[in-house]
Amino acid sequence: MKVKRQERIRHDCLRILDGRDKELDPLRQSELVIVGGTGFVGTWIAEMVTALNDAYQFGIKLSLISRSTEQFSNRLPHLANREDIHLIKSDVRQLGEFPMDADWVIHAAANPDIRTHASNPLDTASVVVDGTMSVMRTAERLGRLKKLLYLSSGLVCGPQPASEMGLAESAQGAAAPDASFVYANSKRFAETICSAARAQSRVPVLVARPFSFVGPYQSLETPWAQTTFLSDALQGHAIRVLGDGQVVRSYLYGSDAAYWFLKILTAGQGGDVVNVGSPVGTSLQDLAKLVAQNFEPSPEIMFNTSPRSLGRSAQLLPDTTHAQNEYGLSAFTSLDEAIKLTAQWHLMQNSQERG
Amino acid sequence: MMERNCTISISDPTLRDGNHAVGHQLDVEQIAAYCRAADAAGVSIVEVGHGNGLGASSLLVGEAKTPDSIALEVARKNLTKSKLGIHVIPGFATIERDLKPALGMGVDVVRVAAHCSEADICERHISFSRGQGVEVWGCLMMSHMISPVFLLEQARKMESYGAEGVVFMDSSGHFLPEDVRKRVELLVSELSIAVGFHAHNNLGLAIANSIAAAEAGATLLDGCARGFGAGAGNTQLEVLVAVLERLGYRTGIDLYKILDAGDLAEQILMQKIPSITSVSVVSGTAGVFSGFMRPVSRIAKEFDVDPRDLFFELGRCKIVAGQEDMILEVAKELALQAAKGGK
Repeated sequence: MKVKRQERIRHDCLRILDGRDKELDPLRQSELVIVGGTGFVGTWIAEMVTALNDAYQFGIKLSLISRSTEQFSNRLPHLANREDIHLIKSDVRQLGEFPMDADWVIHAAANPDIRTHASNPLDTASVVVDGTMSVMRTAERLGRLKKLLYLSSGLVCGPQPASEMGLAESAQGAAAPDASFVYANSKRFAETICSAARAQSRVPVLVARPFSFVGPYQSLETPWAQTTFLSDALQGHAIRVLGDGQVVRSYLYGSDAAYWFLKILTAGQGGDVVNVGSPVGTSLQDLAKLVAQNFEPSPEIMFNTSPRSLGRSAQLLPDTTHAQNEYGLSAFTSLDEAIKLTAQWHLMQNSQERG
Repeated sequence: MMERNCTISISDPTLRDGNHAVGHQLDVEQIAAYCRAADAAGVSIVEVGHGNGLGASSLLVGEAKTPDSIALEVARKNLTKSKLGIHVIPGFATIERDLKPALGMGVDVVRVAAHCSEADICERHISFSRGQGVEVWGCLMMSHMISPVFLLEQARKMESYGAEGVVFMDSSGHFLPEDVRKRVELLVSELSIAVGFHAHNNLGLAIANSIAAAEAGATLLDGCARGFGAGAGNTQLEVLVAVLERLGYRTGIDLYKILDAGDLAEQILMQKIPSITSVSVVSGTAGVFSGFMRPVSRIAKEFDVDPRDLFFELGRCKIVAGQEDMILEVAKELALQAAKGGK
């Protein structure tokens, strides 16, 4: 069953790479480092890189730097034990050991869990801000560095104006400067650090702003709508939707996101900023229905579990015109398919755990 | 009657907060009878348990006559439409020993409570309950002790942990309507989840404060039959329902039946109907937890000090629930000062 789940992931990667592998040719025979490499994004990029190496003989050497390498090894031995993947245990703020021959660096280190942001806002800020400073200082010393991609956040521009269909990279909004928005504001300042590193030290850094993702490897303990709905359904509970279900979000599938990041890394110009996400919005009501239809028996959907309309943050969608026009990127996996693949993957995991 | 087209959910902690007023001595028959009455009236949530919530029965804060498991079993049997709620204070209630078995007995609503500045301690209990598919609220007790902005920060934590609503509690009956309005308006404008309010009647403002909360956007209000609760009691439920009805809010509660429930509660639950005593006024003014009324009165008598002095001193010490042992210390100090010729 475990092998089947791995095959599913590999299939997802190959499906995206089919006809697009040449777009990533600059990665051939190169060394890629992902700082914060064992989370959702890092794991999917690792899956994509190993697919490129196995199916297209790219010969990429991949280093994953993380505080959680042991957990990664236990959870994903099929990646951790590969010769082309090197795990380095380190805190992003103290990068003692770093592959100095790196051609490409992706800086993805941060904890996007809103519970951590709320309980430990100072630590959240430190990981993002001090971590980015540390990565930039390290990047200054990398003689072969071609490009560094910083994974910021779609939250840095604050809430989406009601008049806009999507939030463009050029949006001028910002979150309020208080502890409740420490993640968004830290990410925003980290973008400034990237810009400073480019201006002062010529670090070839560009920025990706991720919005919402869905897919295998996303912890169902995180309190986001997609994970909570899946968790409810997997446990046989009713799906509980806060408010009236009219909040609109979009979700990019894991393998799509991994390809987007690699494409932006290799094709982007230093200084560019690119939204990463699906432009196709869906209401939480429809998302709950999509999740429910993948389970048998189909779980009940309960609305207004918090009896309020959530007007304040009703819609948050990326405007992906820039990603589409400059990089030829779009959501390759439909939301229906993304939810189906994710639900099946978790169901396979559940039956594996049951024995 | 005004037509507001708004619905207010009512959570009724008569069988939980009321337990404070009788030293946690509510028995099985009382629980069963009141549950039937509240259920018949159409109360949204009926909260059951020790005054300090699940797992709190102890020598320190009082031993309950009816163990949690029995109380919940009886309540569950007698609630058909109303949701069964529990009050959970991490520290008193543990997930493995208390929360898991309670959820297994059919609890519908978990209200995880902490002192107003300590929302962090609720993360595991809220996340766990949310993961079990039940309705979860966060409760911030003694909320007069922090500023509105600080209250919002704590409420945001509870929202991030997965709470579907946040109730802020005026545990010492200290607020004025304007205090409540400010807080509700801020929480409603900044949170994406529901806001509720729980009042105590030390200054005779429980109804006025609850209405101020509703007018500012709160969608859940707590009320107890005859105000049965700690200290001067809570918002009197029957009155609250009648006033809300007059103001045009929908509660889903049958007025005659909730009046019947109030009459029944007076007959079978209470040794005396809560009233605003001189000491209650002092407790509310000093901002001290209403649940301290009984121990303060007892200890003041024991040390021959004025309970009003004791309350004001406790207020200056910013004592909170769970620090019952400090009442003794402070009373001793006051007695010592009196013996030395001080006040």
